[in-house]
Amino acid sequence: MADDPLPLLPHEEPLPPRIDLWIAAACLVFSVAVLVLSWQMPTYTEQGGQLYTAPGLVPSFYAVTIGLLGVWLAVRSIRAGALAPAGAPSEQRETGNSNQRFALAAGLGVLFVLGLIGRMPFWLAATIFVTLFVAVFDWRPGVAAKTRARQLATALLIGLGTGVLVSVVFERIFLVRLP
Amino acid sequence: MLGSLEEFGGALAHLLSGWGVLNVFWATLLGIIIGALPGLTATMGVALMTTLTFTMPHEQAILVLVCIYVGAIYGGSRSAILLNIPGTPASACSTLDGFPLARQGLAGRAMGISTSGSWLGTLFGILCVAALTPVLSEVALKFQSFEFFWIALFGIVICGTLAGGDPLKGYLAGFLGLFVATIGQEPYYNYQRFAFGSTDFAGGIGLLPALVGAFGIAEVLQSMRGPAVEPVSSRVESVIPRLEDVFRYWRTILRSGAIGTFIGILPGLGEDTAAWSSYAAARRASKEKEKYGKGSIEGLMAAETGESACVPGAIIPVLTLAVPGSAPAAVLMAAMLIHNLNPGPNLMLQTPEFFYQIVAMLLIADMSKLFYGLTLVRPLLWILLVPRERLMPIVFVLCVVGSYAITSRVFDIYVMLFFGFLGFILRELKFPMAPLILGLVLGDLLEKNMTRGLVLSGGSILPFFTRPVSAVLAAITIFSISWSIPGFHRWVVGLFRRRSASGAAT
Repeated sequence: MADDPLPLLPHEEPLPPRIDLWIAAACLVFSVAVLVLSWQMPTYTEQGGQLYTAPGLVPSFYAVTIGLLGVWLAVRSIRAGALAPAGAPSEQRETGNSNQRFALAAGLGVLFVLGLIGRMPFWLAATIFVTLFVAVFDWRPGVAAKTRARQLATALLIGLGTGVLVSVVFERIFLVRLP
Repeated sequence: MLGSLEEFGGALAHLLSGWGVLNVFWATLLGIIIGALPGLTATMGVALMTTLTFTMPHEQAILVLVCIYVGAIYGGSRSAILLNIPGTPASACSTLDGFPLARQGLAGRAMGISTSGSWLGTLFGILCVAALTPVLSEVALKFQSFEFFWIALFGIVICGTLAGGDPLKGYLAGFLGLFVATIGQEPYYNYQRFAFGSTDFAGGIGLLPALVGAFGIAEVLQSMRGPAVEPVSSRVESVIPRLEDVFRYWRTILRSGAIGTFIGILPGLGEDTAAWSSYAAARRASKEKEKYGKGSIEGLMAAETGESACVPGAIIPVLTLAVPGSAPAAVLMAAMLIHNLNPGPNLMLQTPEFFYQIVAMLLIADMSKLFYGLTLVRPLLWILLVPRERLMPIVFVLCVVGSYAITSRVFDIYVMLFFGFLGFILRELKFPMAPLILGLVLGDLLEKNMTRGLVLSGGSILPFFTRPVSAVLAAITIFSISWSIPGFHRWVVGLFRRRSASGAAT
């Protein structure tokens, strides 16, 4: 028991080989694209510059390395059975993760950055974003009207508090410009 | 010796004058809160505060960041003990014994062990910073481009190998980071690489917006995707550390301090590797192995001492080589560059007073951490109870402010958002983040030294392999990569066994 291996962290658990094969393919495409773009860069040798300082040299080195690592990943994933016919889906461990919550958070974040910032004063944009975020994630169906009103008021309070406090603290105390 | 002590005293007095004391108290408290809240990490905290403090005088800004760093690494243990969720990845190891102790009704004692271990670990690391930095700086002054090229590459490779998870994906993440660092104007002809006519891309990808995105936004998204967490109990007895625990495990404390500091010195590995390595070493040497994983005081002490000793350890290569020892140290190094502090081998020559200031900052942060460790219990429990739905949008707003603050470019907010999604996807695909960050930070160092080395040698790559230090670094780098190839270590072990068997036969 004492010499059992230490438990794996979430990022240490391996992925199915087929996903690794897709990652390898993406690495190879990326590598070729960077190599082509680097090859098209000027070398400045006609102006007396040395070839070793050519702008495309270092990115090419990285691209070749990424490509080789991609090949290594591809070979490893194929050996692990990436090309074998897909069997029955393996039993998924219950993680409690929710893609719906992720999509909602990501969507609200994008709305804040692309839709609100720059179109109104920052304090107002932050207030709207935080209020929406809290209200949406606190939303539960079938809640009494009084509770719902209290939840919305709390969301508004947190939103307004954040918007005003962030603006005052960073603009006045830290002397930071806000977007 | 006396002169050094005088310089150190002067640095302490200088840092604590004026607003210094106030800055120490709020920054350490903020660091502990950031560390304690699952989903917020030390790297994110330091990255965010770098952008928000850049108008401060440089010594006060770095003091704030050091306090955030030290506080956040310590704060992570609170949620590890009470929630079984590490507040920062560094505290993952503390959950193994911290949470079982809390379930046995010993949450207060576990926090006391965490406080004493963390305080002593950082203290051990500070002594190493004071003793090793001047020596290593002198050695580093003899390095040329060939050696610096290998140090940068070695950093990426060793970080990819040992950062946890798949080493191959670690290397890929590192080289992706190096590639991102090439976007924008290159150093010799100001040619705009991968800019596609955009003036924003020509300016390059801002390191801090990318870091705030890869850590802040990615962590917000991950936290919102994951399940909600509940504390094991809201009642905690005394958190005053017991001297008996410290004296009984003094060997573990010294061993973990040394391991933690050493891991810190190695490029990019950071506090989580330090905690796991210290824990594993303590378990191997322990007389009470059976208690590990079930609430071992020694195990918790080892993990906490190791991770906290790593913090000063990770700053040693920043000061001597301009190579960060951990992800938060990478951000700290970026902050030093922003404040024109020029970390690296010349720091001890050009601004020796800053070296004393860094030692003083670490000591101040450690003492302040001890103060909060002994007093801050109930308020931290309330903070842990704040629902993430209310906390994460505020963090998102701060990330936006932070990424915009330095250059006031809206483009930097887009960079932050892009790296937020990229960081999230890469984590889901099991890529470690530390090599990516190290690649971003070391890109400039690697490129300049690689090209300079080639120019000096007239295009020959021989000096990269034949100069003594280069040869050693090259050998370690190539061996580290080979070690990750399946079957290579079996082949090496088999080779040694065959040799020893044939030696025994003759």
